[in-house]
Amino acid sequence: MINTTVKKVLDIDLETQKAETKSFTDLNNYFGGTGLGLKLLEMYSEKNPLIISTGPLNGFFPFVSKASIVLINDGAVEDIYLGGSISTRIKFAGLDSIVIHGTAKEETVIEIQNSNAFLKEGGTDLESLGLPGKRTVIEFDGKKVISDQYFTTPENYLEKKFIEKNIKGLSITGTEVYSPKDFDEYKNLYEEILNRKNELSVEMGGYPSCSGCPMGCGKSKIGEIGGNILLNSLVACQYADKIYTDIGTVFSCLNSLGYEYTHEDIENLPTLVEQTIKKI
Amino acid sequence: MPKILKPTQPEKCIGCEMCVFEAQRQLKKIGMEESLVRVFRKKSEGKQNVEFELEIDPRINILDIEKISSICPRKVFEVLIEQDLVDDKDQKHEKSAEQEKDIERKKGL
Repeated sequence: MINTTVKKVLDIDLETQKAETKSFTDLNNYFGGTGLGLKLLEMYSEKNPLIISTGPLNGFFPFVSKASIVLINDGAVEDIYLGGSISTRIKFAGLDSIVIHGTAKEETVIEIQNSNAFLKEGGTDLESLGLPGKRTVIEFDGKKVISDQYFTTPENYLEKKFIEKNIKGLSITGTEVYSPKDFDEYKNLYEEILNRKNELSVEMGGYPSCSGCPMGCGKSKIGEIGGNILLNSLVACQYADKIYTDIGTVFSCLNSLGYEYTHEDIENLPTLVEQTIKKI
Repeated sequence: MPKILKPTQPEKCIGCEMCVFEAQRQLKKIGMEESLVRVFRKKSEGKQNVEFELEIDPRINILDIEKISSICPRKVFEVLIEQDLVDDKDQKHEKSAEQEKDIERKKGL
């Protein structure tokens, strides 16, 4: 069942080596992705958090295939986006966000299996963790943080955070299965959006593609930075902005999954996010 | 004749998992668990070449496999009729029998 009323956050404390899942019923107006990430950044601001989030449409609709990463770099709030399979794996782990805070004393590898996290020593072989075909593997090779052996993020914000926190890598496995209430309505909408691929501002190619995106474009490798707040809170691809900045389409997608957002909720999101940033 | 989904050009796979999700949608599910098609990333030494492996559960053939095949953006799959596979096997068998005879002939010389 899709949880439409609660935001589920996996809180990983590298200092105490403990992890727990927290459910928030008062964060729904932040939707997910960067909106939710920024609110969590405000809540965890004293703990130098690294926040990875998905949006409500990730895993369900095409071209919504990235994960949002929110962090503070040299005192400035930054939002970057990572492609590959990370967004679907977090979604199928049943999570909206992963908040990693504190600093590990020793180099650490984090294994996430649905809503559980296990902290392992840095020398652990990442390929030995999680379930192949249902996981994403994110590895820091000393220069770049690379997801699924291919996808990266712009700048070096994520790399700096991995070094600060002593993180060597992450493995995320998701095995949850969902079924929207009105499956036929959902399926029709899915196909309608898939047929709009000519509205994307990238060409189809033969490059490794993000999970749930058939484009295989050459641009997903380097990730994204900044951009439209609605798009980033859904964590849709920036090249699909014509589709996912259309409030009518977004509203229909959310409704088909059982979310009870109103048009006003969507319209008010930029102001809400702006107010949150001012508090950080 | 029963139809069979076969990845005839797996080297073209880009790991988008559109086939995985289509197979799951046909079973009214969204997620990776118990999917009848799976995509695995091959571990490669050089990080420039990412390759994928496909694993197909034969039970997939009870689904609308034409739709699963057509959703693949790289035309990795073909829908084959079982008889085609039998004919193909027979042809290969005949060919190797001829080759064996040829080798025997050459030995005789």
